[in-house]
Amino acid sequence: MAPDKATLKLPARQKKDLYPWRLVRIGVQASALVGFIVLFVMTKRGGWSGSLVNFPLRLSPLTMLAQMLASRTFLAGSSLFLFLVILTLVFGRAWCGWLCPMGTILDLFSFKNSRILKSSPPENWRKAKYGVLLVILVAALLGNLTLLVLDPLTILFRTFSTVIWPALDWIVTTLETALYQIPVLNDPISALDNILRPTLLPAEPVYYRNIFVFAAVFTTIIALNLFAERFWCRYLCPLGGLLGLVSKVAIFRRVVSDECKNCGLCNRVCPTGTINPEKHFSSDPAECTMCLECIPACKRDSLVFMPKFAIAERQDYDPGRRELLASLLIGIPLAGIFGSDALVKTPYPTRIRPPGVSEQELLSKCIRCGVCIRTCPTSGLQPAVFEAGLSGLWTPVLAPRLGYCDYACNSCGQACPVQAIPPLSLVEKRLQVIGKAYIDKNRCIAWADNRNCIVCEEMCPLPDKAIKLSQEQVTRPDGEIVQIKLPQVNRDTCIGCGICEYKCPVSGAAAIQIYTYSPSST
Amino acid sequence: MKKLTRRELILYLGAGLSTLTLNQLLAACGVKPGADTSPTGQPVSLTPPFTPTPSQIATPVTSPSSTVTANGTAQTPNIKQSPSQSQNPYLVVAHGGQPEALVRAAINGLGGMQRFVPHGANVIIKPNICVAYHTYEYAATTNPWVVGALVKLCLEAGAASVKVMDSPFGGTPTDAYKISGIQDQVNAAGGQMEFMRAIKYAVTKIPNAVNLFTTKIYEDILKADVLINVPIAKTHDLARLTLGMKNMMGVIEERSILHFDLGNNLTDLNSFVHSTLTVIDAVRILTRNGPTGGNLADVKELDTVIASPDIVAADSYGATLFGMKPEDLDYIKVATRRGLGRSDLSNLNIKDIPVGA
Repeated sequence: MAPDKATLKLPARQKKDLYPWRLVRIGVQASALVGFIVLFVMTKRGGWSGSLVNFPLRLSPLTMLAQMLASRTFLAGSSLFLFLVILTLVFGRAWCGWLCPMGTILDLFSFKNSRILKSSPPENWRKAKYGVLLVILVAALLGNLTLLVLDPLTILFRTFSTVIWPALDWIVTTLETALYQIPVLNDPISALDNILRPTLLPAEPVYYRNIFVFAAVFTTIIALNLFAERFWCRYLCPLGGLLGLVSKVAIFRRVVSDECKNCGLCNRVCPTGTINPEKHFSSDPAECTMCLECIPACKRDSLVFMPKFAIAERQDYDPGRRELLASLLIGIPLAGIFGSDALVKTPYPTRIRPPGVSEQELLSKCIRCGVCIRTCPTSGLQPAVFEAGLSGLWTPVLAPRLGYCDYACNSCGQACPVQAIPPLSLVEKRLQVIGKAYIDKNRCIAWADNRNCIVCEEMCPLPDKAIKLSQEQVTRPDGEIVQIKLPQVNRDTCIGCGICEYKCPVSGAAAIQIYTYSPSST
Repeated sequence: MKKLTRRELILYLGAGLSTLTLNQLLAACGVKPGADTSPTGQPVSLTPPFTPTPSQIATPVTSPSSTVTANGTAQTPNIKQSPSQSQNPYLVVAHGGQPEALVRAAINGLGGMQRFVPHGANVIIKPNICVAYHTYEYAATTNPWVVGALVKLCLEAGAASVKVMDSPFGGTPTDAYKISGIQDQVNAAGGQMEFMRAIKYAVTKIPNAVNLFTTKIYEDILKADVLINVPIAKTHDLARLTLGMKNMMGVIEERSILHFDLGNNLTDLNSFVHSTLTVIDAVRILTRNGPTGGNLADVKELDTVIASPDIVAADSYGATLFGMKPEDLDYIKVATRRGLGRSDLSNLNIKDIPVGA
């Protein structure tokens, strides 16, 4: 009978729903994700201070260690990662289960009821994350940071800034514009836009190149949940791997008492599938995210999390000599391949770096988190896909046709968590030469079409404009003689901010473009 | 809460979409709020109490210009010519004092702000906040105290709301409003600074245009009861000077194409987006490297404010501050020829008010 069934089921569910620590964990997870998003939203020109908003990026011991190894420098601000190391030494991979915003998103999209595989993938797949971790560290030791694109925090931040927020902004703008056509909605929509912009959404629309790549990476990570819960955290996440190794000596452990009657209920709820029925339902501290789901699942209260001072039992998938050797064999050649990419020697002529950057320093420090890209008010800073070669994958480059380097702004350097872009004052930043403008006289409206335009000169922000106009008498193709103001670039003073390229009214590629400049070249 | 069935969800979405579609169809048929605005941008029902008769139309017009004035609706350069206010000067120049005193003197000279701002009017003030690069001393952006004084005068005249806005081309509006100092003075005076929002630019047809037939114009500007244009006087390499007429480029979205045939484009724009009052800030003028500036050596202190309901007259007088004649500026020539306003300064009733230190 139905009511009986309900009363029978109730205690188990109730127990799970009311288990206080589980509720606390969900609360902490939600707050951490919201906190991450709030800090993301405030990472912008006119937002909160750079050293505040970039602190989540400085928490990851993976990116901070790799960055220190590669650049052979130590930044005081990076020591924030010690917090995470200490947390892990006490509570194991609690970061993964309680704080990591990527983990929380994977819990939100767990696809529990649409899983494709009946059983979990083989245990030794867990090796993969240690492999990724070791290869990252080996490459970092050789000065290459390309693989930091696999750090979960950088993935999440980059996806938010280049995919999720621009798309959200587009959707909101489109809806607002449509609804604004309805007269009675004019005021409400206006008021709504007032709330949204520029506080939450950008004042001007932002655009990013190759957005599908970033979208695909993120979607794949979520879609992998179809194969196993928290697939990314179990098998791939290099930060999880690093924290897992630390967790081997963590103080708090999951302990199964003799009360256990091998019912297997805990095994069924474990999101990382680390509870092993063959080993008396014990678990690997390197895989356990301390989520505490197993405690309310246990009918006999035979589980506790308690301090236990011991090195965790070695698992078959743990990295050993063989794995270390393999990672050297992969990491070293990989760094070699990245380093000998021809684009390192002769970069794209349009590889314009943010102000004050030295190429070598950028490549050995940049963790590819995308904070600078987010903070650029014109969305001129873009993640490099090809410009800087493989060793510069997803480092920031300025694409002036998409956005210029604002003469009133020094946000990128202030917000960079690792000072790969130096934190310059506005006065210093205005003196940085990031490139030089060149006019394409075959396409310029004044030079080629003999019509007055002068937009580039008008836009030039320098107190003594780097674009000069000379009035010349020219004969047009139809024989008419006209006076034309012809623009010329004063390459001695041009700083390459790119506003001329951005605003050039010629359609398609601009008739004035910024090219790389190095002080030694002529 | 009851869960939506899929059927219901589709039903609601369909209803919503068809409402939107219906609205779009109605808009296409011309049943739209914008339809009741006059070509001068003033909603017909809200036209200020001055209704000049065709005989009061000021300028002797050489043919094509009659298009601008033929509409019969508020052709405001002629306001002051209406009999009741005939004693008011056509243009006032106040000089030699603090910015606020200059503005007060100039507006009083024109007959007081209540002449332009009816009680309960919604006013928009359009200063020049073109870049976020420098403070007001560099004379790239309108003097903040000039703007503040205008806000106060409008509120004193009984305006219901006074909004101040511009759309900078260099830097973010947030930075520009702050760095220019205008935000502080507007807030202190009781006005509101507003960001110009992308959703509010509407494709607008300009009737009787010569070149600029359609463009995207900021709707709130068109809907305002009173529009006060407060440019700063400075140089510009194509226009030679940027004053009142060119300042109005800030209310449209696609600006750089205006550079081709600037004279006709600016006349088209200003004949449609009508400045009720033009107040030229010449407290500090930029004589080189405009419009962006950045060098104090290029700045000249004139402590002058020019005010007139005729934007062409105001610009013409502005030109003289740089040692130019009105006809040196192409757009003034075109605007005069097309009857937007007057540039024959010697025939105008110009009142010169020395404010004193």
